[in-house]
Amino acid sequence: MPLLEFEDLSIRYRTDGPDVKASEDVNFEVDYGKTFGLVGESGCGKTTLGKSILQLLDDNGYVESGHIWYDDVLPEWKTDTGKVRPEVVEDDRYPVRDDGMMDLTALDSDDIRRVRWNNISLIPQSSMNALNPVYRVGDQIVEAIRVHEPETPEDEAHERARDLLEQVGIERERADDYAHQFSGGMKQRAIIAMAMACNPDMVIADEPTTALDVIIQDRVLDAIREMQDQFDVSMLIISHDISVMAETCDRLGVMYGGRLMESGTTKEVIENPANPYTMGLQNSFPTVEESQERLLAIPGTPPTLTEPADECRFAERCPFATNVCMNDHPPMYDAEAASDGRSRVQQEADVGHRSACYRLDVLEEMRERAKEEETWQQTETPSSS
Amino acid sequence: MTRISAKYLAQRLIISYLTILVIMTLLFVLLHSMPGSFIQTMQSPDMTGEQIERLKEQWGLNEPLWKQYVDFMVNYQTGEFGWSPHWNVPVWNLIERRLPRTVILFGATTITGFMIGPLVGMYLGWWRGTKRDRSIFTGGLIAYSLPSFWIAWLFIWLFSFELDLLPAKYMRTQFPQEVYGTGFEWTAMMAMRDVLWHLALPLLSLTAIGWVGSMLIMRTVMQNVTEQDYVFLARAKGLSERKVMIKHAARNALIPVATGAIVGIAFILDGAVVIENVFNYPGMGNLILDSVLNNDHPTTQAVFFMLAVLLVICRIIQDIAYTYLDPRIKFGEEES
Ligand SMILES: Nc1ncnc2c1ncn2[C@@H]1O[C@H](COP(=O)(O)OP(=O)(O)O)[C@@H](O)[C@H]1O
Ligand code: SF4
Ligand SMILES: [Mg+2]
Repeated sequence: MPLLEFEDLSIRYRTDGPDVKASEDVNFEVDYGKTFGLVGESGCGKTTLGKSILQLLDDNGYVESGHIWYDDVLPEWKTDTGKVRPEVVEDDRYPVRDDGMMDLTALDSDDIRRVRWNNISLIPQSSMNALNPVYRVGDQIVEAIRVHEPETPEDEAHERARDLLEQVGIERERADDYAHQFSGGMKQRAIIAMAMACNPDMVIADEPTTALDVIIQDRVLDAIREMQDQFDVSMLIISHDISVMAETCDRLGVMYGGRLMESGTTKEVIENPANPYTMGLQNSFPTVEESQERLLAIPGTPPTLTEPADECRFAERCPFATNVCMNDHPPMYDAEAASDGRSRVQQEADVGHRSACYRLDVLEEMRERAKEEETWQQTETPSSS
Repeated sequence: MTRISAKYLAQRLIISYLTILVIMTLLFVLLHSMPGSFIQTMQSPDMTGEQIERLKEQWGLNEPLWKQYVDFMVNYQTGEFGWSPHWNVPVWNLIERRLPRTVILFGATTITGFMIGPLVGMYLGWWRGTKRDRSIFTGGLIAYSLPSFWIAWLFIWLFSFELDLLPAKYMRTQFPQEVYGTGFEWTAMMAMRDVLWHLALPLLSLTAIGWVGSMLIMRTVMQNVTEQDYVFLARAKGLSERKVMIKHAARNALIPVATGAIVGIAFILDGAVVIENVFNYPGMGNLILDSVLNNDHPTTQAVFFMLAVLLVICRIIQDIAYTYLDPRIKFGEEES
């Protein structure tokens, strides 16, 4: 059961020149109680997707097309028994579709504000600086509780804030401290605690471990996992580090240049990658299972997202690119079917194992060659390979 | 909240005291590096050499320089500012009457200026780049760059001559018997109202230039603060835009405003000196001009000194204010 469903989501940033196409026709789902990981190099649109869920894009960003469906509606759209009122589903003025899911991109600013933190909380990319330096950490958690539950008495909210801090391994008394009295890892864990303050259905964590050293990374990941067990929340974790994701996520989506290149269970994506970009990405991070001799970076840099060429987004850097890759960006194909020899079964919905690549017919060969160092060193033009 | 330790306070006070000593020394040096002696301005051509000698003796100018310096330093610290040759009273008597008036005008403007400036700066920084931001910002800059007496004249013309709303001169109604009838007596309430009524136009003129300094700082800092991650988080928490702006953004932006406040305060004090003269408001600024025009050096010197002391006091208040605003400052432990 999906809690959150991205449907053909395209996001743009207005600039002085042409718009930046930060996300293009993205489809994926986050299931109840599960952790979905979005992975990809920096600049490929992960943060943009995360922010768009709560309408928190920068001022120049906007959703051009598509929807983000969320499996709940505003309280006043429900009956006393908690069901969605029939007239809400039928009336086109409400952004609610037949199965009762609500389009978060269509809510007005007052309504989305009530969804923020109450239903879905977001731990921002640089959460190291996300605590306000002039207020006590505990007060900032209390603030979140009291916005969404104004009927909660002050002292009860303070108790809850302290409980939450204790659960992420921070002593209760430290609630009275200011952010500058916390270490980097503690700040990160305090924000994780804060994210749980209103008992949300879902938490978005943008690069939760980036810029932390390995030991602290582990403690932060432990805190996330423990909170997830305890509160049974769904999570969307965003990271450029595929090895962190391998440990934490149930499903993975691999992004490149504003496009989803591959998605599937973590096991499928890590053990049997079906997209050249995923294979390249794996080579550039130490994996948990096999200790690699050397880390191989994908040559080149991620593309700028203004006016992308009519070809596979990854073609410029892909060692397997041929003429078939040059006409259009590939749609999502069923990777399962590809292993049975049917390499062009389109699968736009986020089920099973999918990959956006025209060359799934030679998937086995690509997997083998991707492990070799020379493959990633060649700088030939795609047409001659 | 015992955020400020006695040690921190003592430290600030000692630094302030040293500052005052330095100011006094500078005043002394200034006086003695002026060409000639200020006695020259008091002597008339028909004075005999003996008379001039007596004058010098009287003013202590025959003492060795070091003794003059020590006397000066001791006297100033005990409020002994000497004798005013022009008004023929002790300088302290002049200061005593004039200082409170200036403190009223300058203090009131500082308060209104620092209420209006940061408030406007907050909105402009939040609306950065919009038409509203640009027009108010430009208006503020123009007010800032106009000479203060010019703004005062503009207001006098508008409120006093055109609209006939507010008095343009003095601190009190002169000759109230002529205005209110012969049997007129001031009551405390009426006197206060009368003073406030006379204060309105100088206050307005001074505020017109005094709010801009803090607005400029606030606006710039607000623009930076708006980009901060804690402002993003506040929004993600579901707070209203108003709360995000005031409680999270503006509260942080106030810290640099407080840190740099003394510049704006000095600007207001500077403006007050000019404004007092435009309005014939009998404060220190008015006194400075009179004593300079009449070559009354002891008075001029004492007025400068008192204005400097006023700023040093403001500086102490500022230090206390921003340490309250910023919890990251460790009180009394180290100076940054
Ligand atoms: N406010 C903005 N205006 C213009 N371009 C932006 C803005 N924010 C992000 N981008 C661009 O959008 C793309 C995706 O950015 P982002 O979502 O931050 O990627 P990621 O999180 O994967 O690093 C990048 O090319 C980035 O330069
Ligand atoms: S479609 Fe072509 S260029 Fe794109 S990933 Fe597949 S092989 Fe590489
Ligand atoms: Mg990012």
